[in-house]
Amino acid sequence: MPPRLPTGCSAQLVNCLDRSSLCTTQRAATAAGRPSWPSPATQQSSAFSTTAPRDLTINQRRFWKWARKGLGKTLRSPKPGQTNYMPSGSNSSRADVPFPTNPAFRSSPVLSDEARERIWENVMKKGLPLKAVSARHGVDMRRVAAVIRLKELEKAWEAQGKPMAIPYSKAVLSMVPTHDCAPDSPPFEAINEMHVHSYTQQQIFLPTSESRHFTRADAAKAFGEKILPPEKKMWVPELLQLEKDIASGVGIQEARSRFLQATAKSELEMAEKHAKKDAIANEENVRVNTDRFQFRFEGISVDSSGKTGRHIRGVGWRYGVPHNDRKPGAVKIPTKVE
Amino acid sequence: MVVKIRLARFGRSNSPFYNIVVTHARTARGSRPLEVLGTYDPVPKKDTYDPDSKPHKDIKLDVTRAKYWIGVGAQPTDTAHRILAMAGIMKPKVRQGTPVTPIRMAH
Repeated sequence: MPPRLPTGCSAQLVNCLDRSSLCTTQRAATAAGRPSWPSPATQQSSAFSTTAPRDLTINQRRFWKWARKGLGKTLRSPKPGQTNYMPSGSNSSRADVPFPTNPAFRSSPVLSDEARERIWENVMKKGLPLKAVSARHGVDMRRVAAVIRLKELEKAWEAQGKPMAIPYSKAVLSMVPTHDCAPDSPPFEAINEMHVHSYTQQQIFLPTSESRHFTRADAAKAFGEKILPPEKKMWVPELLQLEKDIASGVGIQEARSRFLQATAKSELEMAEKHAKKDAIANEENVRVNTDRFQFRFEGISVDSSGKTGRHIRGVGWRYGVPHNDRKPGAVKIPTKVE
Repeated sequence: MVVKIRLARFGRSNSPFYNIVVTHARTARGSRPLEVLGTYDPVPKKDTYDPDSKPHKDIKLDVTRAKYWIGVGAQPTDTAHRILAMAGIMKPKVRQGTPVTPIRMAH
């Protein structure tokens, strides 16, 4: 336990701050011919040093010279709408290299507030499907969903009159490269990047007849039962049909409207699937309100405890098995917050 | 022997947790039951993201198995009966007369 300050110490601290009083105490002590070891009171007051600060080191002096007269001077007045990264040596600075000695590090742009507002309006006001908005602006589906969730939260807070850190947000966004998702701007990121399953990284010798039309779906099946071909795995598979339509001579407008319909349909199907799942869950998970509490029932299966009744996924306190918090070496620090 | 549906207390001191069990009436509370129908956590909790909500208690229950055991004559205890009544398996027991609120005595 750290030593505590004794009571009445605040008065002493006030004394210490007054340098003249400190000196008089010291002088008085010496005059009285007492040993140089200070009394507890003086010891505490001498915790504040009166030594002059150290001179700047050579590197510090070089830094200040650089900051006042050298390249650092140009960083003082950042140009609006541009990043204020350090110039890389003799060459002029590049807009996306924040660390001049590490040119391999490129800072990627973030969505500006206008871009986020545009995405929110497209989905929530115009009612466009997420997939279509994602494809239109070249923003990942998950990012589109996150933008909408956060924008909704922001608008809810605005309605509640909660204070928001807008100057902070503006300051941060002015320092990093941003992307505004304007209709004519290039895509923000690659939206159809897929996770490479480790099963697909092996070489397989699969004998098949020459006459067989071996498709990507067949290849996926050869790698594993649950492996999907890329056209099913991609985030916006409807883009394939769009490209096929355009290649086969359908007009761009027509192809785009077909794409919109297809994405809307897939979104509707997904919503229905979720609604069905929720309905089943609601049927099992009854909620009973009493005066003070709500009782939440959750349906389970007694079979989850297995033949012996001791399976780890079994419901309830297990019989004949030490509880987790009694096991040696078990980590008891929670790994998530609900 | 009578088969009962009752609660078996687990958990630690001051943090109770119950298994809802089907067991023979004369066996010990913590002994291995015929079947674990579910759990009852009597400690009321609040939703993390909705602190104004009513505190809730979590119950897990295999309704199909509970109905089966009732059907073959298992007798729920009063507490188990209350839980099964909330789940819609038993008829709730109606109290005789109006409930009397305890009178707070002046110190």
